[in-house]
Amino acid sequence: MDMARVERDKEKELIARAQAGDRAAFGALVREHGDEVYTLARRLVGDPHLAADIAQEALIRAWKALPNFRGDAALSTWLHRITVNTAWTQRRRARRHNGPPLDDFIDVAAPMGPDHPEMAGEILELRGRLRRALDTLPEPQRQVVVLKDVYDWSHAEIAEAMGISVSAAKVRLHRARARLARQLEQSA
Amino acid sequence: MNVLCEVAAPFVANSAVEGTPVARPFRAHADECLKCQARHAAMARTARELAAMSKETFDAPLDLEWRVMSALEGDLAVARSWRTPVAVTAAVLSMAAAVLIWRLRPRTQT
Repeated sequence: MDMARVERDKEKELIARAQAGDRAAFGALVREHGDEVYTLARRLVGDPHLAADIAQEALIRAWKALPNFRGDAALSTWLHRITVNTAWTQRRRARRHNGPPLDDFIDVAAPMGPDHPEMAGEILELRGRLRRALDTLPEPQRQVVVLKDVYDWSHAEIAEAMGISVSAAKVRLHRARARLARQLEQSA
Repeated sequence: MNVLCEVAAPFVANSAVEGTPVARPFRAHADECLKCQARHAAMARTARELAAMSKETFDAPLDLEWRVMSALEGDLAVARSWRTPVAVTAAVLSMAAAVLIWRLRPRTQT
């Protein structure tokens, strides 16, 4: 039997035990998927502390919703959806307390880059700049880029998770990519 | 700086990420403009790097599991703390209802 199948069977067993209320089994699932959930949260919100809070809340929500998990999708996919919803709820909560951030309404134009736009240099350097550029995007824009271009979600999935129309998701993505390109060009 | 390059930039970026042709109104310009072609190449590379990021993970805080499990333990403790008073109240109400029903029962005269 191949290792991937053994792992899948082991995970199925842990899920079944956790669904029956076994918290130790759920703890094992948290250990297995915690980094993944935290990574997505961190990419969505940027701030490591907020990402930790979102990961914690997402995993607690996962525990509560686990009896409804049918296994149609992989557990990681299901956890990704919960994490995105949790991040989105946190954002709405923050907006209620602080008012909407200005950059939700206006696409603040970054200054134009230099005349030589070629992005030279090592991959690591590009990745570093890419992370920094992602962090400078307004949160709604960063979220669509992360979900589409990193995690390969469809426009419809993004629209559903963010509570916006498919066309709004496309427009947001279009603007986000343009802004990302500008930021990278500027930092080159 | 060519103004058309700046107007076309979002469409060039999108085309590079999606792997589709540049939107028609800007296609002829992008095909001939070295700056737009350089931007296209740079954004295509960025898209590859973004996709590669899906395989990287950050280490979650070491206490994440502890925080989650403690929160679940807390929920359980709250649920347990409610269970006894609710059960006692339900028992008292049931007994009161039984007594009331017994007292109000129609009596037959002998």
